[in-house]
Amino acid sequence: MSKLIGIEQLIASSAVTGEEPGVRASSRLKSRIYSRLVQEQAAGGPLLSLSETKASGRPLCVFEELVRIAPVGESAKRRNYCRVCHARIAGEHLERAPIYWAHCPYVRFQNR
Amino acid sequence: MTPEPRSSSASSAQRDQALVEAVRRKDRKATAEFVRLYADAVFAYVRARVRPNEADADDLAQEVFLAAYQHMDGYRGESSLRAWILGIARHKVEDYYRARVHVSELEDAGVIVAGDLQLDAALDEHRTRERAMAVLDRLPESDRVLLKWRYWDGKRTAQIAAALGRTDKAVERMLARAREHFRRHWLERQP
Repeated sequence: MSKLIGIEQLIASSAVTGEEPGVRASSRLKSRIYSRLVQEQAAGGPLLSLSETKASGRPLCVFEELVRIAPVGESAKRRNYCRVCHARIAGEHLERAPIYWAHCPYVRFQNR
Repeated sequence: MTPEPRSSSASSAQRDQALVEAVRRKDRKATAEFVRLYADAVFAYVRARVRPNEADADDLAQEVFLAAYQHMDGYRGESSLRAWILGIARHKVEDYYRARVHVSELEDAGVIVAGDLQLDAALDEHRTRERAMAVLDRLPESDRVLLKWRYWDGKRTAQIAAALGRTDKAVERMLARAREHFRRHWLERQP
């Protein structure tokens, strides 16, 4: 048995009206998006300092914490240290990257 | 659908606003949270519309976030942050469509009328849908994009014509040809 259907109705019935269900961005993509956004932010002037970031309730990774407590000026604490970190490289290039530092954004992006 | 309790939606709005303000202050952790919260939704939205071009989905998702950051001072909290960024995704997808409809192919002679299809009644909705998507994936890019633009995103012919800088009639001809291509590919895949 068969039924007649208009082409338009058939195409419309296949529509994904919102988001494709069950689809997730790869951890590499999330990492690259984040890196690009922070690069864009830094291009327009210094980032919020690590001291202020922590004071606003957002914890830092161990490397950022070292910079925060180091006897350096606040301007040093406004730089993007992820730029020189292995976690960023691993996160941008590997799914399920072997990175496990607490409070590292690239770790949080891992779809684990 | 049960309406959200007022206190819950009010606190969601406050969270969205607080996150936007933190990203605008260049709080790197807030920026990471912004990506973590919305990357899946943005990617899933654009991927459905650009498939089978997977690499384009990645690029487009990144463009959406960049545009969101650049226009963040325009977020007024009138909608949720999720709805707002998906609105940006919708605009980026339209730009993508516009760039991929080959307007030079409009000048075909004659009008094509695509007939209806006989569907096997035993084919359930899910399989019909999967098959329709597979057929769309196989179409020339210009046809595929046009059909999604019209039948997925619900744009009227006049709206598509305005976006392409063409007449309604020209777009109608393109749509008719795209539907006919769909029909032929559908029949080729008959089990």
